[in-house]
Amino acid sequence: MQLLDRNFDVSVAPVAGAELSGEALRGVERFLFDEAQLLDERRFSEWLALWTEHGRYWVPRFHGQANPFEQISLFWEDAMLREVRVRRLENARNWSQQPPTRTARVVGNIAVQGLDAAGHLIVRSVFQLTEWRKAQRQLAGAAFHKLAATEAGGWQIVLKRVDLVNCDDVHGNLEVFI
Amino acid sequence: MTLSTETLAGLVRPDSVHKSVYTDPRIFELEMQRIYGQAWIYVGHESQVPATGDYHTTRIGDQDVLMVRAADGQVHVLYNRCPHKGAQVVAEGDGCAGKFFRCPYHAWTFKLDGTHLAAPMKKGFEGTCYDPAHPDFSMRRLARVESYRGFVFASQAADGPDLKAFLGGVATSIDNLCDRSPVGEVEVTGGVFRVLQESNWKVFYENLHDTMHARVTHESSVVAAREEAKEIGEMPFELLIMDGNGEPYEFWEKLELRAYPNGHGYMEGIFDPAAATRDPVSRAHFEALSQVHGEERARAILGMNRHNTVIYGSGSPHTVFQQFRVIRPLAVNRTMVEIQVFRLKGAPEQVFDRALTYANVINSPSSNVMPDDVEVYRRCQEGNGTRGGEWVSLHRYLGTDKALDEGWVSTNGTSELPMRNQFAAWRDYMLAEGSAAQAGAKNEEKNHAAA
Repeated sequence: MQLLDRNFDVSVAPVAGAELSGEALRGVERFLFDEAQLLDERRFSEWLALWTEHGRYWVPRFHGQANPFEQISLFWEDAMLREVRVRRLENARNWSQQPPTRTARVVGNIAVQGLDAAGHLIVRSVFQLTEWRKAQRQLAGAAFHKLAATEAGGWQIVLKRVDLVNCDDVHGNLEVFI
Repeated sequence: MTLSTETLAGLVRPDSVHKSVYTDPRIFELEMQRIYGQAWIYVGHESQVPATGDYHTTRIGDQDVLMVRAADGQVHVLYNRCPHKGAQVVAEGDGCAGKFFRCPYHAWTFKLDGTHLAAPMKKGFEGTCYDPAHPDFSMRRLARVESYRGFVFASQAADGPDLKAFLGGVATSIDNLCDRSPVGEVEVTGGVFRVLQESNWKVFYENLHDTMHARVTHESSVVAAREEAKEIGEMPFELLIMDGNGEPYEFWEKLELRAYPNGHGYMEGIFDPAAATRDPVSRAHFEALSQVHGEERARAILGMNRHNTVIYGSGSPHTVFQQFRVIRPLAVNRTMVEIQVFRLKGAPEQVFDRALTYANVINSPSSNVMPDDVEVYRRCQEGNGTRGGEWVSLHRYLGTDKALDEGWVSTNGTSELPMRNQFAAWRDYMLAEGSAAQAGAKNEEKNHAAA
């Protein structure tokens, strides 16, 4: 699948409602909290395993950006590019990761939005992320996860869209996943 | 304490520069006057202000300026300052002023070329020197503005060479970027990245033609890309452009570096996009150009494979990947880079897709390649702040570069010719007496003394 495959459904607007039991909802919440923990603990390989084969990680450059095909994005990564990032972060000669970027994030306001055209669950959450590398930086925004149900009763990420409050700011390097 | 001409002259040797050129805030201030107050500096591309009243804000050295399209189609470059109280007339970014500018503070209005239109409650000015026709009551234009194939440059100096003469040998890079469009035109589209570097602006210019750093600084991204390619069994475009930095020294030695007056230059291409395992793009692009120009001309246009071009003071256009990395100094130790992506008008869509992917992978703040550059620049900034030594070495292949009719060419691609050439220009700028910004300041002093 090409990186800029226009058939990839990047929309996070639900086309149908979703009814989740209290227990299922707690499962979704736990999935997002676990994801946050893996990133904060730099357990990147385990994080990579949370995705579907064709899943996409997207951080738009613009507020309200419709797609990653016509405009630049802060991140637009398929499995290959996510893996490359992890390989670089774990390379011993990653000069810009000495010292490494440390993060701590709080995820909240988790709300199921509904289903997309393929039946993936669309979940919105809000995060506060403190990053430290040589200096402290605050990142914040809303994340949209599109999740596919697995046979084992869990979830996999089809799309993660992160809308930073300052996506249109001047940025220092963004080295780790948000 | 001011810096004497002798002191400034002593900072640049044929084979080295004094570290204070990167760290001394007084030198940075002088650069803003003598380089950025003098040279032609890239403001933006005409396509960023397509309609009447459209404006784009940016910085020329330490000056907030805006580029605006007037009703007659002309593009003007103005200081973003209301002549009344000095407020910035428009907010930072892109927008449309409509038919005229209106200051948000006291509603003074200005035509799109900056000239005074009106101020409310005129009777309050009766009996004063208020004169709508006097330039003191208009938004000031930069001294000179010229466009080269849609690329708008401005100079704060009233006198000096015209833009074409200033660009010299690197105008061909802008030509080639435009010629890659079947209709010979490009437009900024898809947005502009803005990335912060915590280092002096000159370090980035030097690095653009520093072939000796690539395989050392970028080892982490080269190895990551190669490991990934091995695992998936192919080398797609996204990995190819990270892999290129890992070429052995012998590869870099064979490249050609060109140096031109005013600090400009370019280097030969380091990878052929057509080498990617899935690249239908180059073929489609060639066919589109052939239809217009014939195969021979199409081959000549696409065969000009240049990597980074340096337009000293403005930044680095890249012809093959259709972008302009515009370098904006913010402080002695802070630099902002604006990365513009261009669409080649009339070219197949995949050609833009490739440029977009290149920008996302290489130039985004999230790039896997750039952080290691930015880190070593910062380390230079910090290291040069110590008492561990005074000079920065530019010795490599000194004395072997060949003079051309215009400029120089390296005999070895790892030559530090580009750095020596940049500092030769830097020295000329910094030692030049009576640059425009200084002359302006002196005249103001005189006027005040007379008053």
